[in-house]
Amino acid sequence: MKTLRVLGSTLLLQMKQSFVRPMFRFCLIANPILNTILVYEMFRNSGQTDFAAYAILGAGLMGLWGCICFSSAGDLNRERYSGTLSQIFVAPAGFQTILWGKVLGNTLLSLGTLLFSWLTAKLLYGASFPIRSPGYLLLAFLAAVGCFLSVSVLAAWLLTLSRKTTLYMNVIEIPVILICGFVFPAEQLPRWAQILGMVLSPTWAVKLLRMAVAGVPDRAAFWRAFGTLAALTALYLVLIRLLYGEIQKQVRIRATLEVC
Amino acid sequence: MVKRFFSQAWLYAKGRQAAFRWEEFLLLDAAYPFVTLIFYCLLASYSFRTRDLGHWVAGNALLLCTNTCVFHLGGAFNGERYFGRLRSIVVSPSSLLGVVLESGFFPMLVSAATVTVGLVLGSLVFGVQLWGVPVGPVLLVILAAMFAASGLGLLLSACSLLGDGMHFLLNVVSYILMICTGAQFPVAQLPLPFQWFSRLLPLTRSIEAMDLLLAGSQAAAVLPLVLGELLVGLGCCGLAAVVIGGAARAAVRNGSLDLF
Repeated sequence: MKTLRVLGSTLLLQMKQSFVRPMFRFCLIANPILNTILVYEMFRNSGQTDFAAYAILGAGLMGLWGCICFSSAGDLNRERYSGTLSQIFVAPAGFQTILWGKVLGNTLLSLGTLLFSWLTAKLLYGASFPIRSPGYLLLAFLAAVGCFLSVSVLAAWLLTLSRKTTLYMNVIEIPVILICGFVFPAEQLPRWAQILGMVLSPTWAVKLLRMAVAGVPDRAAFWRAFGTLAALTALYLVLIRLLYGEIQKQVRIRATLEVC
Repeated sequence: MVKRFFSQAWLYAKGRQAAFRWEEFLLLDAAYPFVTLIFYCLLASYSFRTRDLGHWVAGNALLLCTNTCVFHLGGAFNGERYFGRLRSIVVSPSSLLGVVLESGFFPMLVSAATVTVGLVLGSLVFGVQLWGVPVGPVLLVILAAMFAASGLGLLLSACSLLGDGMHFLLNVVSYILMICTGAQFPVAQLPLPFQWFSRLLPLTRSIEAMDLLLAGSQAAAVLPLVLGELLVGLGCCGLAAVVIGGAARAAVRNGSLDLF
């Protein structure tokens, strides 16, 4: 019960704190709008008929990933700059719970990018976004939220050790969008990049969402992708658990938690 | 004065890079821009269903300079604010415009190299024929583009004296450059008012000039475009000189110098 209360209050506080930051507002509102315009215009005269899914879903996911890169991954660094990282690290509420609350708050708020993307395409271009398998889409959507949560926590943990968070959160944005096939199929990439994409869970989340939007004629393929995503998410959770122990030990030995 | 300019510029460059190892410097200033170029070229290849990517390689190579010219120059005062030096700069007799130029001098050299290397590597990766393209005019176009984009960066830097939303503004501007300059899709696709607006922006003419050069035109054909680009740059610089002074006075009056 106490954990849930901490989770809930951290989530709300994080949403408020994130929304007042101009960069987060850019990622949440401006980024999906501008990306939708950009991607839609690029596809408009392509002769392809089913590009709305790429434009709307792709631009929304790009915005969502941007929010994760520039917020969830960098939030611990912001705590460091505010001088509160060591306090929340040793707080009886539990650092893990606080971190999950932060990431949950950010991710839930960031889902708004999909809405902004859809609204932009609808209002500016009158684009329709037919969903062929709504039930599967709901399932894919929940799996995608779980996937992005685990990726965010993993990224936040990995960046806790570094004082160069700004560099890393800048350089992970586009490569992941590229390799995971957010706006065009990952099959367009060279084989080695496809293999790299397969170990990144967002690749499977994107695949599931796109399958659900386009319709699921091959149920076995959907469930295979779903199983892979679930397995990767579970693997990331195990990694988070291992990292938690290791990073806790390292920051205590090195005393680098507050080093900016 | 010249000696002071270079010593300050060198100090800024050292300050910016001190925390990074050389491989991190390469990651941020070379690898990441190159991956961004690859991403947009692959997106163009998929959406326009073409293998002739000369236009996108050239356009996205030129857009690489926004990293420095827009983000670095535009955010110069923001950086000073974080170091607690902004008030001293505003009350000192040294030129505010000079301070921005000092902070951006070495990054601009790096950026010019990034654009050139991006153009060459992008051409190699996507099979764009650079053989026979006149080198002198290409370099002239790159320099004119960087000058005009730097003018825009200088103009934007004034905004950070008045508010705390620079990350939002600079990111929006970088997307406007992507959408309105014709780098990703033809300017003719935009509504008429936006087509006029694109003529006021840096890079539009440079991208057009680069297209002409890649298509086999000679220097004389691109000269009017280069002159037009230089004029845009001069206009931005002139406007920046006026606006920065006014913004500094307004910031003192409104007490927004230390607005985080």
